Amino acid sequence: MAKKKNNKAVGSNSIIVRSMSWVEDRKKVDKFFWGMLAVGVVLTLLDLFYTKKVYFQAENFFGFYSLYGFVLCAALVLAVKAMRVILMRSEAYYAAQDVASEDHPEFDLDRKQADV
Amino acid sequence: MFEWLHPALIYLAAALLVPLVPNRKARAFLILLVPIVGIIPLLTTPFGDYLQLSLFGETLTTFRFDKLSFVFSLVFSLAAFLSLIYAWHVRDTMQQVAALLYSGSAMGAVLAGDLITLFVWWEGTAIASVFLIWARRTEGSYQTGMRYLIIQITSGVVLLAGAAIHYRETGSLAFEAFSLENVGAWFILLSFGIKCAFPLLHNWLQDSYPSATVTGTVILSAFTTKIAIYSLARGYAGTDFLIVIGATMALFPIFFAVIENDLRRVLAYSMNSQLGFMVVGIGVGTDLAINGTVAHAFSSVLYKALLFMSVGAVLFRTGTAKGSELGGLYKTMPLTMVFCVIGAASISAFPLFSGFVSKSMILSAAAQEGHFVTWAILLFASAAVLHHSGIKIPYFAFYGRDSGKRPAEAPRNMLLAMGLTAFLCIAIGVWPNALYSVLPFDVSYNPYSTTHVITQIQLLFFSAIAFAALIRMGLFPRQVRSVILDTDWIYRKLLPAIISFVVLFVSAVWSEIVRGFNNTITAVQNTLANFYGPEGRVARVQPTGYMVLWLAILLGAALIVNLVGLP
Repeated sequence: MAKKKNNKAVGSNSIIVRSMSWVEDRKKVDKFFWGMLAVGVVLTLLDLFYTKKVYFQAENFFGFYSLYGFVLCAALVLAVKAMRVILMRSEAYYAAQDVASEDHPEFDLDRKQADV
Repeated sequence: MFEWLHPALIYLAAALLVPLVPNRKARAFLILLVPIVGIIPLLTTPFGDYLQLSLFGETLTTFRFDKLSFVFSLVFSLAAFLSLIYAWHVRDTMQQVAALLYSGSAMGAVLAGDLITLFVWWEGTAIASVFLIWARRTEGSYQTGMRYLIIQITSGVVLLAGAAIHYRETGSLAFEAFSLENVGAWFILLSFGIKCAFPLLHNWLQDSYPSATVTGTVILSAFTTKIAIYSLARGYAGTDFLIVIGATMALFPIFFAVIENDLRRVLAYSMNSQLGFMVVGIGVGTDLAINGTVAHAFSSVLYKALLFMSVGAVLFRTGTAKGSELGGLYKTMPLTMVFCVIGAASISAFPLFSGFVSKSMILSAAAQEGHFVTWAILLFASAAVLHHSGIKIPYFAFYGRDSGKRPAEAPRNMLLAMGLTAFLCIAIGVWPNALYSVLPFDVSYNPYSTTHVITQIQLLFFSAIAFAALIRMGLFPRQVRSVILDTDWIYRKLLPAIISFVVLFVSAVWSEIVRGFNNTITAVQNTLANFYGPEGRVARVQPTGYMVLWLAILLGAALIVNLVGLP
């Protein structure tokens, strides 16, 4: 009975799973990336076709938001890579005093495998 | 009609009843009924001050009902209801009682009209909530809970001290806007700042929330920090330096959120950043800014709960919430994935999701007042949220490297709770006027202006492109099992190290002093013993002959002296 229910659940969700299966295909992921980039360029070009209502002069710069998002986020990740070198420790660093190196107690979990 | 019925009392009464109900299902039903009954007085009572008590000649207002307290008590009721559905499966009575006491105390705090009532509920939330951490019943969670409790109780004690000084200075205990010319107001601000996770006072948040149980974290995420936001909005709206604090708060946690591996801790950091937006709104203090803060608090309670729920569901099924151990779960937990993405889109403020209609009010308010640097920081934080929450959480849990884990979909109660929360996140985004109509001030604001929609999509899209490009180039930091040091290192490692060094140093110096002293004493003793001891020169038995000899010498000397001395 329980198994039947589970199967049913997987069946109704399989549309979502199937629609996402492209992420397994390297070529399709590549296409997706270039697609994103193309859409991004189109979005930036939209700046030419409407009058921006701005609070600050900087916003009037062509593609300000696109550049701001891209450059600062890339910088963020690179900064973080440097921070990791200084701030990263093993999981047992605070051990016994915090939960990082502990397993989550089983009574609070319900591990179950999917029927696949 | 029900103004005599304080909503918090409903929660407390239920907390007393729950342990007496033996049947598990009946207990779960009773618990779920509480937020539903609790919302009745909120929906039927007209605004006003109710349930006033007299204490030592002072009037305490335990039920102050106005627009500001209404919005917060409303979202608290919603959060309690949704998290209790999520926790439907929990059989641990301790957690159930703690959840009710905690939600009730939170409700009491936002409805408190004076500082004494506020203090009582303030401490109530601290004490009730720590049991959600201790419910994990491990050594680590016990220690974390103790740290959490010390900090929360300290916040309460500082509040009480502030209230006492404030009373002395102004003769009033009313919880209204405070003037920072009074010393008491600074104490009260510090107390609020601790609970609100101001920079350097923030560590308790990231330390404790990931240490609670699966359901405990969801419940924790809703209340404590939002009570602080409410209190700041009531007491300190328009306090300029809160803009600086808020901007710092929005900025620095994003770095940590990108590094962190434990996804629940990532969410705790990103929550800290979101609180920063709200604090900026309070600092700006215009009608639009306060509305923005309240709206953002409202939507963030929901999307944060949704994100914690989805990561909690993953933890519930796999036993871990660490990015390094997860990946590829979309195959078997597709619904949880969809809900997680909705939460992620909401926190990232995509158009048609809740964050979009609330966060933008704060940014607009800051820009209107000409705070360029603050605005630029908030804009950066808005773009970066996509990296640490918007994409990172769904990517590392559900996509990314396939972990080989094939857990079953989350249980139905969790799916229902996530589904309802996700619905609310979208509903707020699509029909923002429903949320705007309950905000404290009448301000017309249209988030869906052409400029705003396009610029926001540009910002997020290119933030996402940066993420994708860095992943492709292998530059995005791989998730590694680790602990990331934050400023709590100072009190968890550095200060104990300094203290143990001082202890060692002082005890070494002391033992040297004692040893030197002992040596000196021994030397003196020995010298004395040499002279006067049983073997000493003084005590030595001399032969009689010596005495006769010395006597003869003395007599001889006396004789010579006499002879020589004669005239």
